[in-house]
Amino acid sequence: MSMSHLRDLQARFQAYLETGDEAIEQDIVGSSDARAAHRLAVYYNAYRIRLIDCLATDFPALAKTIGREDFENLALDYLARHPSSHPSVRWFGRRLPEFLRDDYRGEAREFLAEMATWEWAQTMVFDAADSDATVALEDMAEIAPAQWPLLTFEFKPALRWVDLHWNVPQIEQALENETTAPARERSEIAQRWLLWRRDLKTHWRSLAVHEAWAIEQAAASCNFGELCEGILEWIDAAQAPLVGAGLLRQWVSDGLLRSIHA
Amino acid sequence: MAAQKPFLGFGLGLRSEHYQDVLEHGPTGVDWFEIISENYMVDGGRPLYFLDAIRRDYPMVMHGVSLSLGSTDALDYDYLDRLKTLVERIEPHWFSDHLCWTGVDHKNMHDLLPLPYTEEAIDHVAERVMRVQDFIGRQMLIENLSSYITYCEDAMPEWEFLSAIAHKADCYLLLDVNNIYVSSYNHDYDPLEYLDGIDPARVWQHHLAGHSNEGNLIIDTHDHDVIDPVWALYEQTAQRLGPVSTMIERDGNIPPLDSLLAELDRARAIAEPHYGT
Repeated sequence: MSMSHLRDLQARFQAYLETGDEAIEQDIVGSSDARAAHRLAVYYNAYRIRLIDCLATDFPALAKTIGREDFENLALDYLARHPSSHPSVRWFGRRLPEFLRDDYRGEAREFLAEMATWEWAQTMVFDAADSDATVALEDMAEIAPAQWPLLTFEFKPALRWVDLHWNVPQIEQALENETTAPARERSEIAQRWLLWRRDLKTHWRSLAVHEAWAIEQAAASCNFGELCEGILEWIDAAQAPLVGAGLLRQWVSDGLLRSIHA
Repeated sequence: MAAQKPFLGFGLGLRSEHYQDVLEHGPTGVDWFEIISENYMVDGGRPLYFLDAIRRDYPMVMHGVSLSLGSTDALDYDYLDRLKTLVERIEPHWFSDHLCWTGVDHKNMHDLLPLPYTEEAIDHVAERVMRVQDFIGRQMLIENLSSYITYCEDAMPEWEFLSAIAHKADCYLLLDVNNIYVSSYNHDYDPLEYLDGIDPARVWQHHLAGHSNEGNLIIDTHDHDVIDPVWALYEQTAQRLGPVSTMIERDGNIPPLDSLLAELDRARAIAEPHYGT
């Protein structure tokens, strides 16, 4: 035996796990009386059960929405297309939203893809990096008025936003609380939802269109003056500085900001 | 093999279901915790918060599932970097992984797949264990599997294979008593012969766990209480090996902490009379 022999053996075993290719049976004691096939099936089944369970854990609302049988079929199709390549099973589901959007053959593809997007965003916020700093409202008081237009903002790492046409956050919440879920509703214009973690807990809220724009620009290093100017598209000029300051106060009190730079 | 064998006492696998109980209810009667390393290879949030908090009160060891010591893929140094970072963060008494492979061609089957028991596989795995130990900067423990198949090319019994790698790589053993029982049932050998084939000085840790009996095969599922024949085998290991840090592993159907503490007390009651202190 050589390394290439061991490599071939492992390739045959893995091909069996992935596709059911029976070539590995010749390497296993009992191939003549079907014992090998019976025993190998333990591994074949365990591979599938483990990864189906992993997706069911990471996408509980999606699993509830489509039901166990359809969810298992979805998970098996996904597993065949995107086998895990990461040492941690934590990352296995990361491509499920795009798989649903691009490859799912069932009904309500867009709704289900958005549900998966929403659940995965929560997973990402759950264990994103902690922040070593935070901005408090008192810190704001110390900033000289002349500096305000030039302020830029750094958000904490545990913050994401997703744009959804469907009312999936409300439906997911109802499924989690085991209350009656609202009917599915689609809006032509996508709604931006913000998710962030505070004190180990994930929070979320919808953003008005001017805040949706402002938070994206702020994350891309636009300064406060530019933000106040940009929101003029939706806000009266007379109100803009006040609305801009209100956004900032909200971001600080929600605990979104790691630092402010003058 | 110069190190004095440490004895941590009787521990549990740390599971997120028990975080609050462990932190809030003061002394639990658990001497130490084992963590699944991969569960804490994340950037922040709840897992690392509880890990650090519990580590302040308890000794810990780390147990991995994705090192893939037996794979013919190259060692994954991104993974090893993460492992080393975690070792430095929590300073465990030791770290361990399984005598298995988990995938090739950069895929992970997330299962503990068996190796053929051959001289070539011994050389291959021992060399990789040594490289891992060099990279992390300490000796590791390798664990025996539950297995369901036998390769035609096997040239020795499992205990010889395990012992040869430990000797050649100068690493230690995490001897899973349930896995010995499961594999002895599945492959029809005497588990005491297994125990007699192991150098006691190499064994630094035991796992105890429950399993599912499917009739002609036993499946290692970690979702039931430890069964009486496994307790009996554990008593035999305590007689033969003396004090070895022992823990209960539970991964499915996870009961309240109290129920696992009762199992842990049973382990103490069985093992301690044989420690001759």
